[in-house]
Amino acid sequence: MSREAVLVRTLVELADTLVEDFDVVELLTLLTDRCVEVLDVTAAGLMLASPGGDLRVMASSSEAMRLVELFEIQADEGPCLDCFRTGKPVVNRTLGSTNLNWPHFAPQALEAGFLSVHALPMRLRGLTIGALNLFRATEGILDEADVDAAQAFADVATIAILQHRASLETQLLNTQLTQALNSRVVIEQAKGVVGEQAGLSMEEAFTRLRNHARNHNLRLVDVARGIVDGSLAPPSLDPLRTLEPTRPPLPAS
Amino acid sequence: MPPERRLRILQELLASGHGDRATARLCEVCAAVAGVSGAGIMLMSGDAPWGSVCNTNAVSALIEELQYTLGEGPCVDAYHHDRPVLEPDLADPITPRWLAFTPPAVKAGARAVFGFPLRIGALRLGALNLYCDQPGPLSDGQHADALVLAEVAAQTVLMMQANAPSGRLATELETGGDFKYVVHQASGMVAAQLDVGVGEAFARLRGFAFATDRSLEQVADEVVGRRLRFDDLSTGDPDPVL
Repeated sequence: MSREAVLVRTLVELADTLVEDFDVVELLTLLTDRCVEVLDVTAAGLMLASPGGDLRVMASSSEAMRLVELFEIQADEGPCLDCFRTGKPVVNRTLGSTNLNWPHFAPQALEAGFLSVHALPMRLRGLTIGALNLFRATEGILDEADVDAAQAFADVATIAILQHRASLETQLLNTQLTQALNSRVVIEQAKGVVGEQAGLSMEEAFTRLRNHARNHNLRLVDVARGIVDGSLAPPSLDPLRTLEPTRPPLPAS
Repeated sequence: MPPERRLRILQELLASGHGDRATARLCEVCAAVAGVSGAGIMLMSGDAPWGSVCNTNAVSALIEELQYTLGEGPCVDAYHHDRPVLEPDLADPITPRWLAFTPPAVKAGARAVFGFPLRIGALRLGALNLYCDQPGPLSDGQHADALVLAEVAAQTVLMMQANAPSGRLATELETGGDFKYVVHQASGMVAAQLDVGVGEAFARLRGFAFATDRSLEQVADEVVGRRLRFDDLSTGDPDPVL
């Protein structure tokens, strides 16, 4: 298979994983593996910014300790951090050269056997979320076609991550909506049970549920759920206090 | 999905602003963009619909009410089967379905009804209901619009909820929607009367509403108003206590 064909196949493979419920780490690991297979590089890793802004390694083509440490150190300095801060590619930095501003990273990378490093931004519409890091242990430069291909991989990974984040947000909102509606339904049901058993109006039943929750430092919805599932018998609720103002925060019907 | 379609719908919605009428406006935009006689949005979960986010007119309201009471109809099917459900000729369908839902819906003036699941990715929230006062299928353009509208509606509902305090329903949904809380109160009362679970009590209420040709909400009102009890089963039916 030609190199172009492998590249296309890889991009299609990555796009195929962008279905519902894909696993981000799995996708990113696939991507770093493909970088090593397809591009002229020895090792690859993906670093993503945490909500606090720190770069953290999300996937790596190898779990070798020497490589893992090279990612960790880049929370403070290195090609990924430079790339993430500027949003611009950092390519073909020769580790032996003296003009690198990475006093900790450069010697350690050299010691691990690498000769050059590269970092490509994970960027969409002005937002940089991390960087794709490539290491070479061979002499010579990473050619332009490889740089372009690496950037294409980084772009796919960026889209995957942003899509995943949007989907998580949606799920969270949906859970909140479901919980809010479920809570409300169970409180109304409990009002019915208490109202029927104690001969109270819905408003009085609500007040009794609410007072019981307050007096026992329980959540109203938990008291209501206990009434509805039978684990809490209505007679064991605290009695109504007649002087209590009975204007509930929720409408009575 | 064509981006210009989505853009047009979002522009319509944005032009309407926020506030108390946000949910009503959502349904009006759905009806206007899809070019139909009326629209409604129902939220659902499992077997029991939660209620209505909005509807544009009395016919849309009745279409939702019937589905809530009977547990059948285009929205219920769209939600459960997770696909659009289209009935272009409700009065004379090729395959009759919804035996209880259809006669009153036709009588009210719905001649074609369509249900589109409200979903975002794998999440399902309910269904968008569209109806026409004349029989006939949706055009390809209307169908494509309805798919986008259902997705936009789902996102809009979630966005409304985004700013609500934890465990509480968003104010827009609370004031604009109709979640039929009285039905849940009645379920609790009937559960206590019969010493059964609230799920079974809900089913009994629904069965009684169907048998007596009343809406679930009307029956619930009578239970909560203590004009109807379910615990005298000597006649096989609950006796009205008047």
